Amino acid sequence: MSEQLLRVSGLSAGTEDNPILHDIDISVAAGETHVLMGPNGAGKSTLGHVIMGDPVYKVSSGRIEFAGQDLTDEGADKRSLAGIFLSYQAPVEVPGVPLYSFLRTITQKRPELKMTAKEFRKRVGEIADELDLSQSFLTRELNVGFSGGEKKKIEMLQLLLLRPKLAILDETDSGLDVDALSVVSRGIEAYRRTCDGALLMITHNTRILEKLTVDRTHVMVKGRLVAEGPASLIDDIDAHGFERFEREAEARGDAE
Amino acid sequence: MADDNATLGAAVADEPRKVTLSHVNTPPAETWNYLRANDITLTVPAISRKGDVYFALPQLFGRIECGMGDKVTEWVTSQAADATYVEVPRNTVRTEPVVVDVDADAGQVADTGVMIREGAEATVVVVAHGGGSEAATSAALTRIVCEKRTRLHLFEVLALPDAETHLESVGIVADDDATIEVRQYLLGGATQAVGLAADLAGDRARINLQTRYLGRGTDVLDINHVVRQRGENSRAHVDESGVLADAAHKSLRATIDLVHGAKGAKGDEAETVLVTGDDVVNKTMPVILCDEDDVQGNHGATIGSIGGEQLQYLRDRGLSEEEANDLFVRALFDDAVISSPTASARRAVLDRAAAVLGQEVALDLAEGLELECADTEGEA
Amino acid sequence: MSDTRDVKRTQVADVDRSIYDFVKSEEGYERYADGLTPEIVRSISEKKSEPQWMLDLRLEALEVFHERQMAPNWGPSIAGLDMDHISTYVSPKTKQARDWDDVPKDIKDTFERLGIPQAERDSLAGVGAQYDSEIVYHNMREEVAKYGVVYTTIEDALQDPKWEPVVHEYFGKLIPMRDHKFAALHYAVWSGGSFVYVPEGVTVEYPLQSYFRLNAQGAGQFEHTLIIVEPGADLHFIEGCSAPKYYEANLHAGAVELYVKDHARLRYSTIENWSKNMYNLNTKRAKVGADSKMEWVSGSFGSHVSYLYPTTILQGDRSSCEFTGITFAGATQDLDTGCKVVLNGRDTTASVETKSISKDGGVNTFRSSVVVGKHADNARATVSCQSLMLDNISRSDTIPAMDVRNPTASVGHEATIGRISDDTILYLMSRGCSEAEARTMVVNGFANPVSKELPLEYAVEMNNLIKLEMEGAIG
Repeated sequence: MSEQLLRVSGLSAGTEDNPILHDIDISVAAGETHVLMGPNGAGKSTLGHVIMGDPVYKVSSGRIEFAGQDLTDEGADKRSLAGIFLSYQAPVEVPGVPLYSFLRTITQKRPELKMTAKEFRKRVGEIADELDLSQSFLTRELNVGFSGGEKKKIEMLQLLLLRPKLAILDETDSGLDVDALSVVSRGIEAYRRTCDGALLMITHNTRILEKLTVDRTHVMVKGRLVAEGPASLIDDIDAHGFERFEREAEARGDAE
Repeated sequence: MADDNATLGAAVADEPRKVTLSHVNTPPAETWNYLRANDITLTVPAISRKGDVYFALPQLFGRIECGMGDKVTEWVTSQAADATYVEVPRNTVRTEPVVVDVDADAGQVADTGVMIREGAEATVVVVAHGGGSEAATSAALTRIVCEKRTRLHLFEVLALPDAETHLESVGIVADDDATIEVRQYLLGGATQAVGLAADLAGDRARINLQTRYLGRGTDVLDINHVVRQRGENSRAHVDESGVLADAAHKSLRATIDLVHGAKGAKGDEAETVLVTGDDVVNKTMPVILCDEDDVQGNHGATIGSIGGEQLQYLRDRGLSEEEANDLFVRALFDDAVISSPTASARRAVLDRAAAVLGQEVALDLAEGLELECADTEGEA
Repeated sequence: MSDTRDVKRTQVADVDRSIYDFVKSEEGYERYADGLTPEIVRSISEKKSEPQWMLDLRLEALEVFHERQMAPNWGPSIAGLDMDHISTYVSPKTKQARDWDDVPKDIKDTFERLGIPQAERDSLAGVGAQYDSEIVYHNMREEVAKYGVVYTTIEDALQDPKWEPVVHEYFGKLIPMRDHKFAALHYAVWSGGSFVYVPEGVTVEYPLQSYFRLNAQGAGQFEHTLIIVEPGADLHFIEGCSAPKYYEANLHAGAVELYVKDHARLRYSTIENWSKNMYNLNTKRAKVGADSKMEWVSGSFGSHVSYLYPTTILQGDRSSCEFTGITFAGATQDLDTGCKVVLNGRDTTASVETKSISKDGGVNTFRSSVVVGKHADNARATVSCQSLMLDNISRSDTIPAMDVRNPTASVGHEATIGRISDDTILYLMSRGCSEAEARTMVVNGFANPVSKELPLEYAVEMNNLIKLEMEGAIG
């Protein structure tokens, strides 16, 4: 199993007084595209944040391994440098920090991305063009006063700049208009094409998946992974919703 | 005995005479004296200009309230070798900035008055810079009259070496529909004493004041901002933020004065302080004075470390907490370079960046942002 | 209304400014002004048969009072106050009673009208009532006394060999006489007030209450409140103040010293409704031990001039403080109120929420200080201050100060000033309220965060006060 890039095994986690995730097993191999689906409040985003190392959540049991390294107890910055990227549903505003300073600093942290300031500027310019993002954004404060769509584009910009081994995209499609959605889709495709990175898409909306070749689909209900299947599972959910899984989960819950 | 006196006399003659300016940077309303937050006391050189003929500004500038107070105004006018008066004619746009260049190493003292006539637009740039390692005291007093429908861009950068002291006092009067944009970058120095008073006397006059500061080592930063809102529907937006490291000592007094009769006026002020040093002293005094009911006044202050959510976002992108703090310092210089309207201002910021962040980072900044600046100017 | 102001102006013109002009004599006390002499101080002490240390303390305080100057850059003017015209000690001709029936009729009537005995029967664990300089009534429920809770006057505690050393240990330690000029005055002439001792582990189920009434014209009230809450104990203390209106200046310079030991809690509620000729220069201070909580609820409605900034020193680790306050400044009032918090312990938290309302030319100044000491790791403080302007002849200033010396601390402050929006009034009027009703409704809503912290009958009293003020029925 050493070809697995991400291996989550027996993971239970939650906030101090509220267990959210129960006994999660999920593995993603290098270059694969996985989809994590489930109704609202199932714990999908929580899983993304726990894999990233958000200290709001405490891991009560289980392990998170990435590229053969046990990261369960590592901080988020270590995980990021190891190659995990989490795109936020609602990217945080950071007043006082121009986007340029931020991008340059996070790039310089990665030896594999070493480049001169001029090369860096060129690279950022190319990606911004690809994402229909005006370069004037670079001098504005990070995410401050940006629209929802612009914030998502900034997330894509970071994704393409950092070239992570695994990208967890948390509801990247939510709240976007058609144009922004197509730009974000283009960003995801570019990531797949140029970085050959693995992808874990968290979503409850199947439209953004249309242009992607999905390797595995996981379904989460009430903090548990209740089903796993090939890409065709998405069509099933598209047609029938999550009801079947919810019923099954309830039945199992009653049995316990 | 006589010999002793002679030696003493010689020593005094070599050393420039000093005067002590007390109650400098005093806000309109004060707090408990024991908090020692109401003012700063500065000891400054006093050159006697007895016998010199020097030219003062037109008298009307004497009536402008300046942020550091009358004592500093008097001292500057007595020390400055000359006063510079600039007039921007009616309904013109002056593209070339009015530049006040202060050589801090030489202890220069500048006294500048700018008159922006009705409907005109101008940029004023004050740059205090130096590279010396000796203690020196420089100053810039800048008084600006903005007539009706004028636009003023005021850019101030204090890029002093660690041992030097600078007094930066500004007074602005704004008539109807005048728009004032101020950016202050206080990038270090033994003592940075900065006062700005803006009198929004005219209806619909507005000011947007942004201050970014850095205090490190044993730097002393003392800031006094006063915005008097006298005009109807006047607007003030004051935003201060900065990073305090090591044993820096900062006091900020920011007053929004909503004067009786300023119907429909709105003023807000907010400060965000990032404290990274164990021995930092941070004093913040955000004041609203309100003598009118049909107004809105807000102020806020946030003092501490990087917010939880922000820090998590930065960590998710690979930065440790310490690196996140460093990012805020670097960002200050980036922002200053980006906003610099002249090459000399940019140069001063980059020189200071080299001293604070190291040559390598400064080069990176210069290389990455020169392009940036070209771009922004191109777009504008 | 204009009559009142004219009278006041005449008053100010009549009195001289000798309060500022004291010169300390090198030869002794002969040259002290008439208002306050060592003889007066001695006679107060003698009348109370005090121990020598208390007399010494009074005389020293008198000297400090004459030495100290008021800071020239401070808040509302107290020029209308002239110590020469204030007889510092006015005592009604009665002894302290334990039964309301023993209280002289005129005084009893006063307190009956203020609802004090009724409140005692209904919901209080004990009541003290001070009339001018002396406590006229003091009583506490049997079951509370049984747990060893002491609620008496400082005078009585000083006569008790068991409590005299306790008073000696704590009295004047939290608020030193050199704190400011009026603290010194207080210590020179203090009289009345309360001594409360809650033993370790005791929770006093019902609040204790002291009611202060200043009846004499041109007089001063200088009561001292000393409360000691031992480890693990819990107390709610309520203080109410009022006075009839005279044109001559009255002075209230009380001192409240609160010692909250470890794992304890003290709630201190005040509804102050002094008449509008009162100079209310009161000093209150609490020192809080580890894992303990200090809660202040403060409503300021009365007084001509107030200087009132209750101070909390969070000395113990994990101690906390909540301050909820409202100040209503109407015609002829200049009220400088707020609070101070010093965070010295680790993981200490402070939360301050204040409201102020200015009307009919009244002046409100909110002043606060939050000081975070060097060793207060992870200290957290938030200050929120809202001011409402009800017309354009009034004034409202907000002057907070923060001094932070620990990098792990987090301090936040926010303040807003504005008036009731026309939209809100229109909305309420469109639902059938008169404009006056709508405004009263909005102001009551504005004050709600404070009134909800008060015991019911005090919340009702506060709402009535607001209603009175809003109707313009100003005495």
